[in-house]
Amino acid sequence: MDFKLTDKQIEHRKECYKVCAELEKKKPKTWVGFESQFDNDEGWDFHRYCAKEFAKRGWLALGWPKEYGGTGDMMEKVLFAEARGYYDLAGSDIFGVSMLAPTLLAAGSEELKKEFLPKIASAELMFCELWSEPNSGSDLAGLQTSAVRKGDEFIVNGQKTWNTGAHRADWAFGVYKSDPNAKKHHNLTFMLCDMKTPGISVKGIPYMSGTHVYNEVYLDDVHIPAKYIVGQENEGWAVVNVLAGFERSNLDMVYGLVRGVEELVHFCNENKRGGQPLSKDPMVRNKVADIACQLEAVRTLAYRVADQQNRNEMGLMDAAAVKVFASELMEKYSHVACDILGPYGQVKHSKFAKMNGAPEYTYQGCFVPIVSMGTNEIQRNIIAWYGLGLPRMK
Amino acid sequence: MDLRFTEQQEILKKSARDFLTKECPKAKVRELAKDSKGYDPAVWQKMAELGWLGFNIPEDYEGMGYSFEDLTMHIEEVGKNILPGPYISTVVNTFAIVEAGTDEQKKDLLPKISNGNCILTLAWFEENGQFDASGITLKATAKGNDFILSGTKVLADSAHVADYMIVVARTKAGSGEDGVTLFLVDAKSAGIKAELMPTIASDHLCEVVFKDVAVPAKNVLGKVDKGWAVLQTIIRKGSILKSAESLGGLSTVVEMTVAYAKERVQYDRPIGAFQALQHKMSDMWITMGTSRYLLYEAAWMESNNMPCAKEASMAKAYINEAYKLITALGVKLHGGIGTSYDHDAPLYFHRAKAADTVYGSTDFHRELVAQQIGLK
Repeated sequence: MDFKLTDKQIEHRKECYKVCAELEKKKPKTWVGFESQFDNDEGWDFHRYCAKEFAKRGWLALGWPKEYGGTGDMMEKVLFAEARGYYDLAGSDIFGVSMLAPTLLAAGSEELKKEFLPKIASAELMFCELWSEPNSGSDLAGLQTSAVRKGDEFIVNGQKTWNTGAHRADWAFGVYKSDPNAKKHHNLTFMLCDMKTPGISVKGIPYMSGTHVYNEVYLDDVHIPAKYIVGQENEGWAVVNVLAGFERSNLDMVYGLVRGVEELVHFCNENKRGGQPLSKDPMVRNKVADIACQLEAVRTLAYRVADQQNRNEMGLMDAAAVKVFASELMEKYSHVACDILGPYGQVKHSKFAKMNGAPEYTYQGCFVPIVSMGTNEIQRNIIAWYGLGLPRMK
Repeated sequence: MDLRFTEQQEILKKSARDFLTKECPKAKVRELAKDSKGYDPAVWQKMAELGWLGFNIPEDYEGMGYSFEDLTMHIEEVGKNILPGPYISTVVNTFAIVEAGTDEQKKDLLPKISNGNCILTLAWFEENGQFDASGITLKATAKGNDFILSGTKVLADSAHVADYMIVVARTKAGSGEDGVTLFLVDAKSAGIKAELMPTIASDHLCEVVFKDVAVPAKNVLGKVDKGWAVLQTIIRKGSILKSAESLGGLSTVVEMTVAYAKERVQYDRPIGAFQALQHKMSDMWITMGTSRYLLYEAAWMESNNMPCAKEASMAKAYINEAYKLITALGVKLHGGIGTSYDHDAPLYFHRAKAADTVYGSTDFHRELVAQQIGLK
């Protein structure tokens, strides 16, 4: 058992924290949290600015094999995520960098790798995901958007939904029903497409906080060249599963909470209630310490996942556990923080807010990680079926 | 970073598993609950022969000198099975002698402990139920070459069979940390009376009355008035090792519960096919995973002499709650059979409650964590 990082990794982490700390100072005033990158133009500009700064240093390709411009060390990628999460920065495209790039490396053709990996590494292209549909959420494999092959291209028709950042993205990766007669799980094709392709229209769905993160995407006779298939035609479900395995070391979410706890401790030390600092209140101390314990527990498990991935073991069950635990801890943290703020727990990011309105933001923002990327209930099914070997009810 | 067990650890785990499967089946665990001693001296001797009682004793004192991390992995395996008696108590309190004892104390006691001839326990808690220094009221008054101890300790593990007790006493007026002294007390000394207290896990905790007990001054462990610092070592290492035992116990309950859910059929299907139960078992599994690496981190830090009071307290506070949660779910998911005396689920459920106060309760450790994370 060895939790120690190498000197090179420690040096890299230091550099990541330094660069991210500088970038934090340039956050636009409207920035409330990670989702701000999609909500408004300043947020998106800041995201692209950070992305360019990271690209310059080769950090968007961390963990990739050396032949594609990476260093081959997954742990460096994880440490970069940690620093970004701590400073609540965007700049690493969750779809392009975190999901699509490793999927292309694992399942993409040489042509696709050559065409897209450099553009992801340089932050030239930002991606979105076209997966869920109005009648296909958790049961993703039952989706209906059709892709009919005509020679060298597919004609795609249907509707996608909950598409984070689709109103900003340059390209999309999507999954479509390409064979209406084949068996479930062998009837889907995974393809990339330019979001400027004629026939694509995007309509925002406001999140409960009023921010513009999610969208509906309508596809009306959209022509997608067959060369943009990832994996095999009609075997897109296998690619979906490969991708689903890449998106979850979740160190960025965990380190967002690390910062959150630090700020809560600072607030409690600096603010009085009834003439006494909040930090002297035994109830406050107990609650904050409890959150800190849970956070350290999930932080160590997230490192376990990173350690497994670094050895090319997928660690899917532990990754699912981290996703469930960290997102629900975010919810618990927001409740504790809002309670400590008292009546100010409801005040949004503004000149009136305490702690920059972060607790209010997290109080409703926590549902994004809880329901996305496979809801926590789906994660619990996955753990039960594949981790514990419990029977799957038909 | 490499969060896998070493080969040595795998061997240690297997040997503990094999030994306890043979020597300490659940029938024996139940038998020992009603036994007056609460442990099996024959098994204790075999443990000593295997080196278990000297794992953390330096080779110079007839011990094995294993690393703290290896010891943690071994104790986790012991916890999987349940081993009644003063094993953890002896091992943890041995550290206080190794770290704070005089040469004479070490030469006298460590080989005896290692050879299975000295059971060691801690007499810390008092009737006020406090964990902090102000709870220490048992008086030790200097008289010639002795200290005279008077007062009452409670919930001292196996004090009725112990050979030596580390007694936490007050040597100076006041209620602070300064003025607390630790004594190595021969349990056969005149004036000591130990009486079993009935507790949830039937684990032989005692009330110990000290009536003018004379303890030679050379038996002070550490410095006079400065015993609280030595107690912190016991609390820190004990928290990690007790949590290791708990982690072992809770992982057995997860395994046992999942196995039962696969075989128990109702409504023509195994009950494990129902999502209402699956999600509870997934939560048990998630809680186990988060407990595991939190503990290993603390054990690794302690093993490498890194400051880890925070991590040790975090592990104890978190795993206290994890063990109780998982064992309660274990009982519930077994249904009626899980509530019966002869089932294994309550054995672990009881131990989870007993474990949570040993070396400090959840709230006690959360307060230590609060200090460590900078709450003023």
